[in-house]
Amino acid sequence: MNPSEFYLKLDEMLELPAGTLQGNEVLEQLEGWDSVAVITFIAMADSEFGAMLPPKEIAACHSVSDLADLVARHVPAPTR
Amino acid sequence: MHNPFQLDGRTILVTGASSGIGKSTAVLLSQLGARVLLLARNQAKLEQTAALLEGSGHRIAVFDLAGLDEISSRLAELVDQTGPLHGLVHCAGVGSLMPLRMLTMAHLDAVMRVNFQAAVALTTAFCRKPMHQARASVVLVASVAGLLGVPARSAYSASKGAVIAFARSAALEMAKSGVRINCVAPAFVKTEMYADSLGALTPEQLERLIQTTQPMGLGDPVDVANAIAFLLADTGRWITGSVLAVDGGYTAQ
Repeated sequence: MNPSEFYLKLDEMLELPAGTLQGNEVLEQLEGWDSVAVITFIAMADSEFGAMLPPKEIAACHSVSDLADLVARHVPAPTR
Repeated sequence: MHNPFQLDGRTILVTGASSGIGKSTAVLLSQLGARVLLLARNQAKLEQTAALLEGSGHRIAVFDLAGLDEISSRLAELVDQTGPLHGLVHCAGVGSLMPLRMLTMAHLDAVMRVNFQAAVALTTAFCRKPMHQARASVVLVASVAGLLGVPARSAYSASKGAVIAFARSAALEMAKSGVRINCVAPAFVKTEMYADSLGALTPEQLERLIQTTQPMGLGDPVDVANAIAFLLADTGRWITGSVLAVDGGYTAQ
């Protein structure tokens, strides 16, 4: 998974102009990052990247790049 | 001793009988003397439920309720084998958290199909004369989400609200023929579906959610099963078109 592709998806999800998120943003300070956004994020990670995210690991994320790393870790290996 | 909840000699179909509220309901109804017909998609799980039942004469029927067009004929086949039914309980349901931004028509269709359309197909088939006995009772499992708004639950809420509205009108239509139609509206209950649908939350977040929404805490499936039995038995004989909230205080707030 390409991080910049992921940041663009997250921009879209949070209704931010494309290219806004760079990875170093702190989630707690990110406008629109609330409990419904977390649920939306889980559904988005599944539908866009096939990643099933454990809620505990999302709760442990502090920045946007942590989210990208988390999704990358949970993207299923390609099947042959 | 007189027990107004007794269901001896009654034959009752329970959908979603492989887990959660359906499983608990099937077990309780058998303990009250009913012959129970267990319906769900998964044969192995149905057999596990069947092994927990008291009494004899119970049957299992493996069927996916998403096949709406077959519901009527499958019910007729079942009734051919068992004789007309005294009761129907629709517990089968689906529901996951789905915020508006991710809500697709395919998701909405899947939720409405099992939660609402299958409830309608089952009830209409059940209400035909050869399918039911005199003074029969239908209980549809709705949800507090059908009565109140819940974020990220709009499709699920709509499906359960539709069930409640359907039950009220159907109850009026069937009142003269003696078939009663009611809903129970549970809040969060300790089931697999609850665990799946709230998989987005950590255990700590879940505990906080339950504390703020349900003053009496998380429910047990048997709490809902008890309410269903009450509506099926003669205890509910003057109740139709109603919604019984079984919710630990959720809707009182």
